[in-house]
Amino acid sequence: MDSWVIAMMLGASIFLGAAALFAFLWAIKNGQFDDEEKFLNAAKFDGEDELNDAALQEKKREDLEKKYRPE
Amino acid sequence: MSYKIPCSHCHLEFDPSLMIKDEKLHFCCKGCQGVYHLLQDKGFESFYEKSKSSTLAPPTQITEGSSSFDSQSFYDKFVKTNDKGFSQVSLIIEGIHCSACVWLNEKALNKMDGVIEANINFTNNKATIVWADDIVKLSKIIDMIRAIGYDAFAYDAMTQEHHVNKERKSYYLKMAVAIFASMNIMWIAVAQYAGYFSGIAQDVKTILNIAEWILSTPVLFYSGWVFFRGAYYGLKEKVVNMDLLVATGALFTYIYSIYITIMQHGEAYFDSVSMIITFVLIGKFLEVLSKKSAADALDVITRNIPNEVKIIREGIIAQCKLDDVKVGDSVVVSSGEKILFDGEIIKGSGSFDESNLTGESSPVYKSVGMSVVSGTTSIDADIYFMATRDFKHSTLSNIVTLLESAIHKKPKIQQMANRLSEHFSSLILSLAFVTFLGWWLWPHSFETSFMVAISVIIIACPCALALATPVATLVGLSISASRGILFKEAAGLETMAKIDTLVLDKTGTITIGKPEVVKEHFFKDFDKKLLYSLVKSSKHPIANGVAKYIKEQTKEIEEIIFDEYKQFPAKGIKAKYKNVDFLGGNLKLLQEHGIDMKFTTQETAFYFVIGDEIAAVYELKDKIKDGMPELIASMKQKRIEVVLLSGDHKNITTNIAKEVGIKKFFYEQTPQDKAEYINTLHKEGKKVVMAGDGVNDILALASADIAIAMGSGSDIAVEVGDVVLLDDSLKSLNEAFKISKTTFGLIKQNLLISLVYNALTIPIAMAGYIIPLFAAISMSLSSLLVVGNSMRIRYKWRR
Repeated sequence: MDSWVIAMMLGASIFLGAAALFAFLWAIKNGQFDDEEKFLNAAKFDGEDELNDAALQEKKREDLEKKYRPE
Repeated sequence: MSYKIPCSHCHLEFDPSLMIKDEKLHFCCKGCQGVYHLLQDKGFESFYEKSKSSTLAPPTQITEGSSSFDSQSFYDKFVKTNDKGFSQVSLIIEGIHCSACVWLNEKALNKMDGVIEANINFTNNKATIVWADDIVKLSKIIDMIRAIGYDAFAYDAMTQEHHVNKERKSYYLKMAVAIFASMNIMWIAVAQYAGYFSGIAQDVKTILNIAEWILSTPVLFYSGWVFFRGAYYGLKEKVVNMDLLVATGALFTYIYSIYITIMQHGEAYFDSVSMIITFVLIGKFLEVLSKKSAADALDVITRNIPNEVKIIREGIIAQCKLDDVKVGDSVVVSSGEKILFDGEIIKGSGSFDESNLTGESSPVYKSVGMSVVSGTTSIDADIYFMATRDFKHSTLSNIVTLLESAIHKKPKIQQMANRLSEHFSSLILSLAFVTFLGWWLWPHSFETSFMVAISVIIIACPCALALATPVATLVGLSISASRGILFKEAAGLETMAKIDTLVLDKTGTITIGKPEVVKEHFFKDFDKKLLYSLVKSSKHPIANGVAKYIKEQTKEIEEIIFDEYKQFPAKGIKAKYKNVDFLGGNLKLLQEHGIDMKFTTQETAFYFVIGDEIAAVYELKDKIKDGMPELIASMKQKRIEVVLLSGDHKNITTNIAKEVGIKKFFYEQTPQDKAEYINTLHKEGKKVVMAGDGVNDILALASADIAIAMGSGSDIAVEVGDVVLLDDSLKSLNEAFKISKTTFGLIKQNLLISLVYNALTIPIAMAGYIIPLFAAISMSLSSLLVVGNSMRIRYKWRR
C-alpha cells in the first residue's frame, strides 16, 4: 500500500489541529478568557461600533508607541 | 399615596417633588445630573441603553483631591513602567454594578489622550491602566473616573495575586498543548495497537511513530517543563521528589522511543510519554487552582485607609498626607470617620466604635484628656486630638505589619502525598536501576535490559499517586460547598483533619454579637410606633436591638416624624412630638433629666419615658448562638481541646464560658495577645483551628493553622480565613470537621490503591512481561480506580 497517503493525511490533520491550537493559545495569552463575564457579554453585545473603537484604540496605541521616546 | 419616578441617571425611585427637574428629565441629586450631562456631551449616551433599568449608586461628592495620585511617594509605590516605557497602574474601581459600567469606564478612559490601555475586570473590579505620562497625568485619569460617577483606589498588583494569576495562565497554556497532543496520539495509538495484534508493515509503523514523535515533543519539553524544573530544584536540595520520577521516566522513554523509531524495529512508547505528563500535569493544575492568594486580605485593609487627614496648622484646618503628620499635630475627626493616629483628645467628646480592637460592639464614650487609638471609628464624635505617635508607629500600622508577616509565615503542615512521593520516587528509580543491572548481567543485550528498566518506570507511573490527593480534596470541597462551608484551599481539608485544638472568639462566634431583647416590662400604655420611630433613627446597637424586637412583635408599623430629635452620645435619645417629651436611653440619661427610677437589672437596660413617667423597660442581652453547648461537647468527644479568647471583661467572659461548658478561657485579650497565644500553642506542638469574625481576630486567624471566619464577619476576617462558614452557625463547624476527616480518609484510601496497584504490577514489569498495550491500559486503569473511589464517597455523601 502506498504509505505516503497515510503520511499526508496525518500531516494535514495534525497541521489543521495545530492551527486551531495556536489560535486558542493566542486567545489565552491575549487575556480573552481572563474575565468570563466580559467574555460572554462581548459575544452578546459587541457590534460594529465596538469593532471600530477597538481598531481606533489600536491605531492610537501604535502612534503613541512610535512617537513616545522616554529618556 | 405618592407615586415615584426613577432618576434619569441612577434609576433609583423618588418622590417627584423632591427631585431636580431638568426639562423632561428628573434627577435625584446634583451628582446624577452632572454625570448625565457629561455622558451626553462626550457621546456616551448609549450607556443608558446598555445598562437598561438596572439601578446605580448615585455619585458621591468626593472631597479628597486627586493630586495625591501624582505625588512621588504614590508613584514609587504603585506605578510601574512597562517594557515600552509607558506607565502602568492597577486600580480597584468602586461603584461597578453591571457590564455597562465596565463599558463606560473603559470607553471614557480610552477616549482620553495619552491613555493606551484601560482594561477592567468585571468579576473583581480590578483595572489595569497604561498611559503615556508626559501626555496625561494619573490625577486626570482619576478625575475622569470620578467625573462619571465612580471612584478608584490603587493597589499593589505585583504581589502574590499577580504571581498566582500568571501561574494559572501558564498552566492553561501547558494543559491545552498537552491535552491536544495526547488526544491525537491516542488516535494514532489505536492504529499501533491494532497493528501489534494483526500485523503491520514496518514503513507504516514508522510513519505512525514519527507522527507520535512530533506530537509528543512539545508535550515533554513545553508542558512537561515544570517537572524538569521541579526535579532540578529538588536535586539541588538533595530531595528525590515526584517531579524527578516523572521527568526521568518520561525523558528516558522518549529517548528510547526515538531510538526505536530510527532503528525501525520494536515498539515505541510515545503515547506513554505524553500520557504521563498530561495526567500528572492535570493533578498539579488542580492543586494550583485551589490555592488562595493571601494578597487580597491586605488589599482590603489598605483600601480602607485614606491618603489624607485634616489637621490644624496655624489655626487653619488643612489637608495633610498621612506621612507628614508629626507627633504633636492636632488632628480633626468628624463623626463617622476612622481614626488613623494614636492620640489624646483635646476638644470635643463622643462615642467610639472600638470593635476593631476589642471585638465588642458597644460603643465607648470618650471625652477631653482620654486617649484614642488608631483603627477605631468615631460614631458620633466631632473631636480634635493631639497625635502622640506618627503613622508609621501607630497601632494601626503595627497591626498591618504584624498581619503581613503572619500571612507570609503561616504554618504549612506537609501533605501526606508529598511525604509519600519522596520515598516512592527513590524506591522506583532504584528498582529500575536494579532491574537494568540484573538483566544486563544475566546476560542480555543492553537494549533489552534498558527496555525492561524503562517499563518498570512506565508501569509505576505516578499518575494515580498524583491524582489521589487533588481528586479526593475536590470531592471534599464540593461536598462542603453544598453545605455552606467554603474551603479556600484544598490543602485546608487535610490540615483540618489533623487538628487538636479549637480556639474560639466570643462576640460574633459563640454569641450573636448583637444585643437582643430578652425581657420587657410595661408601666404604662403607649403607642408602639412612638418608641419604634424613636429608636429607629439611632445607629446605637442597643437602639437597633429594641427596634428589631418591636418590628418582630408588630409586623406592620408606621413611622412618625418628631418635631425635635436629639441624640446624647453614650446616653440615649430625646425627642418632642405634639408638645410631649420622649426619652429613650440608659439610667444616666434618666438621672440627668431628674427622673427617679427604682427598677434595677443585671442586664443592659433600655428605658422609655413619656413626659416624666416611665413607660417601659427593655432588658437586652447578647445571646449565645443555638447549639453552642452541644458543639463544645462533641468537640470534647473528638478529643479536641476548646479554648475561649475574649477581649471582654472577666465577668462576662466567665459567665459565657460556664454557660457553654468551656473550661479554658482568657479575657481582656488584645489582638496581639490572641496571636501570641496561638503561637505558644504552636510551640507546644499543637495544631490549631481559630474561629472568629472581627477585625480584632485577624492576627490570630492569620497565625492559626486553619482560620475559620463567619460569612457575616468583617471583610478582612473573611479574606484571611481559610474556611468561611456562610450560615454563621458553628453547627457547620462540626460538619466541616466531619467532612475533613472523611476527605482525609479518602486520600489515604486513594494512596493505598495506587500503591497496592504498583506493588502488583512492578514485579511483572521487572520480570519483563510488559507489552505496550498493557502499559497504557494499566496506566489509565490505576487513575480510573482512584477517580472512581472518590466518586463513590461523593455519591454516599449526596444521599
